[in-house]
Amino acid sequence: MARADENSIPAQIATQAVNLAPATVISIAILVLWQVIVVVLKIPEAILPTPTRIFGVMVERRELLLQHTWPTALQCIYGFLLAVAVGVGLGIAIAFSRLFRTGVYPLVIAFQVVPKVALAPLFIVWFGLGTTSRILLAFVIAFFPMVVNTFAGIQSTDPVMIRMARSFSASRWTIFSKIEFPTALPYIFSGLKIGITFAVIGIIVAEFVTAQEGLGYLIVFSEGNVDTPMLMAAIFVLSVVGVILYALIVLLEKLVIRWDVGQKL
Amino acid sequence: MGQGGRDQRQIQSGQGLIDARPATWRLGSNNQTGPGPPFGAGRDRGFMAENSVHVQIAALRKIYQTRREEIEAIHNVDMAVSEGEFVSILGPSGCGKSTLLMAVGGLLPISGGSIEIDRDAVTGPRRDTGVVFQSPVLMPWRTIEKNVLFPIESLGLRVADYRDGAAALLEMTGLGGFAHNFPSELSGGMQQRVAICRALIHNPTLLLMDEPFSALDAITRDAMNQELLRIWQEFQKTVLFVTHSIREAVFLSDRVFVMSPRPAVISKIVEIDLPRPRTLEIEETPEFNVYVAELRKAIEG
Ligand SMILES: Nc1ncnc2c1ncn2[C@@H]1O[C@H](COP(=O)(O)OP(=O)(O)OP(=O)(O)O)[C@@H](O)[C@H]1O
Ligand SMILES: [Mg+2]
Repeated sequence: MARADENSIPAQIATQAVNLAPATVISIAILVLWQVIVVVLKIPEAILPTPTRIFGVMVERRELLLQHTWPTALQCIYGFLLAVAVGVGLGIAIAFSRLFRTGVYPLVIAFQVVPKVALAPLFIVWFGLGTTSRILLAFVIAFFPMVVNTFAGIQSTDPVMIRMARSFSASRWTIFSKIEFPTALPYIFSGLKIGITFAVIGIIVAEFVTAQEGLGYLIVFSEGNVDTPMLMAAIFVLSVVGVILYALIVLLEKLVIRWDVGQKL
Repeated sequence: MGQGGRDQRQIQSGQGLIDARPATWRLGSNNQTGPGPPFGAGRDRGFMAENSVHVQIAALRKIYQTRREEIEAIHNVDMAVSEGEFVSILGPSGCGKSTLLMAVGGLLPISGGSIEIDRDAVTGPRRDTGVVFQSPVLMPWRTIEKNVLFPIESLGLRVADYRDGAAALLEMTGLGGFAHNFPSELSGGMQQRVAICRALIHNPTLLLMDEPFSALDAITRDAMNQELLRIWQEFQKTVLFVTHSIREAVFLSDRVFVMSPRPAVISKIVEIDLPRPRTLEIEETPEFNVYVAELRKAIEG
C-alpha cells in the first residue's frame, strides 16, 4: 500500500479523479435539471437564477468577486493557523500536564457548548469592526476540534511502544517527538480538516455582522439589493474557496502521512 | 557429550562468522559498549563460574499497588545467570514472568531484594540491554531500517555509524531486501525479526525476550527459534527468554527456570545438557523428551 510508486502524488490525483467521476456526472445532471426547471416554470431571477446566469455574473463581475474573495480566504487561513497553534499546543499541554487536564480541559469542553457565532457582536464591542474580530471568531470556532483530536491522538499511543522506547533509554522528549506525536498525527489531521471548514463558517458569519468586506459581506450586500444572481455567485465562489483550503490540507496530509494508518500492529 | 556441543559452538563463533562482519559494523559497535568485551568473544562460558555471573537476582519481591488491593506478583526469586548463557523462564500464565523480565530491564520498580547486572544494581533501563516484546511494536511510520536504528537515536549515538550494522543484521535475518519497506508490508514473523534486529543494533550484552514468538504460527515459530539460536551463537549474548512453551524452552536453553503460580518463586531449575548447535531434529530424540517430561511435571505439580 505504501510503496512509493503506487503512492506518488500524481498517481493519487489520478485515482481521485476516477473516484470523483460519478459525483461529477450527478452534479452536471442537477445543474441541467435546475436550468430546465427555472426556464420551464419561468421562476423569477430574484428568487432563483439559472446556473448559466450565475456563471455569467461570475465572469462579468469577476473583479468585484475577486476583490472580496482575497480577504475572506486570507482571514480563513489566519484564523485557522491561530487555531492550529493554540489548539494543538493546548492538546499537547492537556495530554502532559495534570493541571491542564483537570483544570483547563473541562473548561474547553464546557466552552464548546456556547454557540460561538453568538460571540460575534461581543468581539465587535471589544475589537471593533476590523479583521481582528473576524479572525478571532474563526479561531474560536475552529480550535476546539484541534484540541480534542490532538489530545485523543496522543492518548491513543500504544503503552508497549512507550515501554519499548524506555527500554532503549529514550528521554521524555524522544518519546513525545518520535512516538506520541507521530501516533497523534492522523488524529491531528482529521482535526485540521474539521477545523478549516469551521474557520470558513467563522469568517463568513463575522463578515455578515461586521459588513466591511469579503464574500460574506458581498452576500448580505447583494441580498439587500435583491441581486440574487450575484448573491449565488458569491456563495459559489465561497464554496470553491472552502474546497481549495480543504484540499490543501488533504494534500499536506498525504505528503506527511506516508504510512498505512489502518494497520494496527 | 554436552561439553562437546559447547566447544563446537565456541569454535564456530570464535572464528568465521564474527570476522565475516563488515569492519565498520565492528567498529561502530565496539566504541560504545559499556562493560564487558564486545560480542562476548573469548568469554568463559562455563556456567556458574564465580567470575562470569552476568545477572544476579536475590530475594526479588514485586508487589503491584492497585487502587483496591496489593497484588504480590513475585514472592521471592533468586537467580544467577552467567555471561553468554541462554536461560528460559517458564511458567503458567499470570505467574509473573513478564514482571520479572521488566524488572531486570529496569522498566519496573521492585518492592524488595536486588537485581544486579555486571555487579551493578539495576535502577533503570541500561544501555547494554536489548528488549524484545511479545508484539513487535514497530513504528508504522518508519521504514524497517529506521525502526532498527531507533535505539541508536534514542541512546544519543551517531546513526551514521550504525547503518552498516543495521544492514548486516537485516541481511542476517533474511530481511536484506526490506530495509526501505514499511512494517505493514511485512508478515508477523518478519516484523518480529525486525524487533530482534532492533534489540541487537546497539550491541547489548544482555538480551531480554518476553514471549517473542508466542503470536506466531507453529511453523514460523520453529524457524524463528532456530534463527534465534543462530544469532545467539554468533553474537554470544546472555539471553533471558520468557516462554510458556516447554518445548521451546528445552530447544533453546542452557538452563530453564520454572516459576510457580503467583506469587512466584523459582520452583525448579533444569540444566539442558543437549549438544549444540541444535536443529529441529533434536526434538525427536529421547533426551529432549525426557527434559520436556521433567519440566511438565515441574509445572503441573
Ligand atoms: N500493572 C499491574 N498492576 C497490577 N497487577 C499487575 C500489573 N501487571 C501485572 N500484574 C499482575 O501480576 C501478575 C503477574 O503478571 P505478569 O504479566 O508478570 O505475568 P506473566 O507470567 O507474564 O503472564 P503471561 O504468561 O500471561 O504473560 C498477574 O497476576 C497480573 O495480574
Ligand atoms: Mg507476560
